[in-house]
Amino acid sequence: MALLNLKEFHSPRSLADARALLDANEDALVLSGGTFLHGLEARGLLSDVEALVDIRRIGLDAVEIDGAGLEIGATATFARLQAVPEVGTEAWLGALADALTYPPVQIRNTATFGGCVAAACPFFDIPTALLALDASVDTDGPDGGRSLSLSELFMGLFANTLDTGELITALFVPRPAGRVASAFLKLEGNANDLAIVNAAVRLSVDAGGVCTDARVALGGGVAESTLRIPSAETILLGAKLDEATLRAAGEAVADDISPMSDHRASAAYRSALAKVMTRRALERAVARLS
Amino acid sequence: MNRMNVVGHSVERPDAYDKVTGGKGYPVNVKLPGMLHAKILRSPYAHARIVGIDASRAEKLPGVKAVLLSRDVPQVKFCPVFFVPVDAPSMVLDFDVMNGEVVRYVGQPVAAVAATTAEIAEAALSLIDVEYEELPAVFTPEAAMQPGAPQLHPGAANNVAKNPSFVAGDVEKGFAEADFVFEGVYETQRQHTCYMEPRVCVAEMDRQDNVTIHVTTQHLFGTREKLAYALKLPESKVKVIKSPYIGGGFGGKLELSYMEPIATLLSKKSGGRPVRLEQTRHEDFITTTRNPIKVYLKTGVKKDGTFTARYARSVLDCGAYATHGAEVIMVHGAFGLFFNYHAPHTHWEGQTVYTNNMIGGGFRGYGAPQGSFAVESQIDEICDKLGLDPIEMRLKNARKQGEPHPFNPAFTIATYGLEDCLRQGAAKIDWPGRRSARGGDGVRKRGFGMAVHPVWVSGCMGFPDIYEHSGAIIKLNRDGTADLASAAMDIGSGQITTLCQIAAEELGLPAGAVRMSSGCDTDNVPFDAPTHASRVTYSAGNAVKAAAAAAKKRLFEVVATMMEVSPDDLEVANGTVSVKGAPGKSVTVAEAAQRAESPFVQMTAEGPKETTIGEKGTIVGIASLSPTSNPPPCAAQFVEVEVDTETGEVKVLHAVYAHDIGRVINPAAAEGQVEGGFQQGMGYALMEHIQFDPETGACLTSDFLDYKMPTAVEMPRRIDSIFIETDEPSGPFGAKSLSECCVITPAPAIANAIFDAIGVRFRQLPITPEKILAGLGKL
Repeated sequence: MALLNLKEFHSPRSLADARALLDANEDALVLSGGTFLHGLEARGLLSDVEALVDIRRIGLDAVEIDGAGLEIGATATFARLQAVPEVGTEAWLGALADALTYPPVQIRNTATFGGCVAAACPFFDIPTALLALDASVDTDGPDGGRSLSLSELFMGLFANTLDTGELITALFVPRPAGRVASAFLKLEGNANDLAIVNAAVRLSVDAGGVCTDARVALGGGVAESTLRIPSAETILLGAKLDEATLRAAGEAVADDISPMSDHRASAAYRSALAKVMTRRALERAVARLS
Repeated sequence: MNRMNVVGHSVERPDAYDKVTGGKGYPVNVKLPGMLHAKILRSPYAHARIVGIDASRAEKLPGVKAVLLSRDVPQVKFCPVFFVPVDAPSMVLDFDVMNGEVVRYVGQPVAAVAATTAEIAEAALSLIDVEYEELPAVFTPEAAMQPGAPQLHPGAANNVAKNPSFVAGDVEKGFAEADFVFEGVYETQRQHTCYMEPRVCVAEMDRQDNVTIHVTTQHLFGTREKLAYALKLPESKVKVIKSPYIGGGFGGKLELSYMEPIATLLSKKSGGRPVRLEQTRHEDFITTTRNPIKVYLKTGVKKDGTFTARYARSVLDCGAYATHGAEVIMVHGAFGLFFNYHAPHTHWEGQTVYTNNMIGGGFRGYGAPQGSFAVESQIDEICDKLGLDPIEMRLKNARKQGEPHPFNPAFTIATYGLEDCLRQGAAKIDWPGRRSARGGDGVRKRGFGMAVHPVWVSGCMGFPDIYEHSGAIIKLNRDGTADLASAAMDIGSGQITTLCQIAAEELGLPAGAVRMSSGCDTDNVPFDAPTHASRVTYSAGNAVKAAAAAAKKRLFEVVATMMEVSPDDLEVANGTVSVKGAPGKSVTVAEAAQRAESPFVQMTAEGPKETTIGEKGTIVGIASLSPTSNPPPCAAQFVEVEVDTETGEVKVLHAVYAHDIGRVINPAAAEGQVEGGFQQGMGYALMEHIQFDPETGACLTSDFLDYKMPTAVEMPRRIDSIFIETDEPSGPFGAKSLSECCVITPAPAIANAIFDAIGVRFRQLPITPEKILAGLGKL
């Protein structure tokens, strides 16, 4: 209803055609799964948009997993990933598998990986999981392609660092070496909610059980972007992953976040929950290590 | 009780196929040739004077067919609530459709447009220039009642729209006689009805001012009365079409909203083309809600738990216009706070207060959930402090079967199964064993809670200014089926099914042989009060039963002639009329109906044969009547919850709900009511909350992303429904009512269970995870 000025809707069949359309029309919006655009539209925020370029038919929905890692086409849906057997069975992908269980089936069937990271929405779940998994995005822009980490992609609340006309083509999740497990957890108002707080972690340990690599990510309004939590990672790195360490890592997150207050929750509550959710996500990952 | 053929069975809903295949029979899908689409321009300010409106740019937009401004709208003030007369003295007559002078809440209509598409209509709204002069706004009743606060309506000093009260005995004396006095302040929030189908209408007004409207409404005749009044037309000029279904109501479609008169007047302005106006979900959220009420409750008790005195003051925030708030406060004081238990001394003061907040609406339970939360929470506090058993404490003060009804002593409480509800519910959840299961040392703590609703209504018989009668027409068909025509709306809770079951039982037809007519409107069926106040099964059921009895009487007269016996000797079952005690001799209902409609002279192999005048004429039965009483259903509820003491999340693990609703007409439908009621009550307890920007009064939670209600995931894995079947003598086949009773107790039961689990008492709804952590001292 709120796309009042929409004049053009394009459905290109190749990346080259999409490229040409985006180069020709700097104000065009890219449509992928459409769940985020729908939310903006329903709130009347897209009334100036005159052109949409739907990229779902340009052949960017392949998913491949091999020794190097998991490559996800930008328009692969959440449901597509859930159907990949390794996503459900491999401990290093646990955070992704966890995060995929939260969105309702209607969202899973349409929302895409490229769209959900391009939205730069701190309340989404998948980006938090991908950030903990060290994912990067490949892009195609007017001046060629590049690769960006998610930390480099997220600029602020609903703002990314993509250039005008630059398109995400794929995401890559590298396969870490050694004993690794990851996990994700979310606090939500009901089963169809954005995150009030979410937490994702990935832990690597050596034979002695000492942490050799730790990535902790938080989302859900603990800051304007989904972000990594170095203070918690520092505590984990080189430590035995016992109860005291996990608790200390949870407590440490307060140093790296600046939670917002809104009608869903106060900053104080998000701050308290960021600690609890981080610790619980760590516990979940540790359980998967053994 | 005796077993019946149709009543008491979970017969299949005749509307099931239409509903699961989607769409057929709902107003939202009405499409008429030449139909225009309308949109309403709403105020962005909570309180402002309208200095000027210029719609000339909008009128010039291609596709725009009519623009409606206040000068096109008859300037009348009235009460839009369907179930009272439009000028009812006990209500507040402050509502206007579009006044052109002042707006009193964010979202109040100031103009409207009809165009060939909804998109053009919406685009035209942005071309209407309105100049406002902002006025100071007030958003809480407490501030609104302060001296110097902005005055919202002339004649409402201190913004108090209505301040009912009642006194019985001497509460000061009662408190002096008490061993203990308990006091608490209990607050409830705005909750939205969350019906599935938005409010929508398609209206036509021709050049002779004949109005026809398809609309989502809980009341055909209330829509006719209020729409005619708003348009200054005789009632008979307005025809309201009964849609076979509406997509839920829950009280949220129980008054004239703005859309019906606006769409109708736009139709007139566009030369009589049909005009469709569908509210967005945002518009639905800001135009109907359960009124928030703050209850100051004081109770005096003896050591053994006997009440000596009860006092309450209730402050209701009705928003910018009184609408339902003038009646919600009454039901709240009576059925929410005081009719539940005996006390020798009682005193209540109610205040319905204007603010610059959104207007309220009807909502299942209608003031009782707000009262029950206060009363049933405080009883739990009393039991905890005095070491009393919560079940015995309630029974000690409860009313008994055979007592006069607390509202109207002329009515007797003829059936009352509260004690059975309590005992059987307690057994089901193992209430005595709860102490060993609760608490625990872990992060997640379990608790058990209970609450009752001792006296609820079956309709509105005897209530001042409230309509209460029903009508029905039954016609037998030549294939042995029957058509039932009634103005009673099925709002999703199964009224079509239960009314058809009642008719089939009375007529002696098999289940499924009675069909609800799909062609009813205000021109062709008798008046019926709204689908509200848990009244349809009881009140409309009595009218349907009477109409069926009248048809049956006529059926027996026809058959008596055919069989040459006395009508008094006949009985009917399963579609066959036979002589009592002589089952071999029979005539089917189909044969009788054919005979009644056959040509007077019938040609046979033996030549022409005359039938009799006395047999001729379609077999019909008509009734229009009031029920004879207002029997109270009652309920006891038990819940088990688990509280996560690190996140504050509450999970309801198990709910047990025992109701006395009289005879159960359709057990599966009744269980569905109970489970749906629990869901709404649980949402009220834990999450649902329409929130506003405290500076501007703009709604922050006007879609289902921001407004949270329980989904299937949050519902308890186990809900046990128990029905204590009493046999209500004034009800159809012994039935009382259900609908609202089951939405009233979840909030206090859950609050009591949370206290049991973590030892913290919450007196403000909803009990969110954040409030729980704060209550535990962790924030």
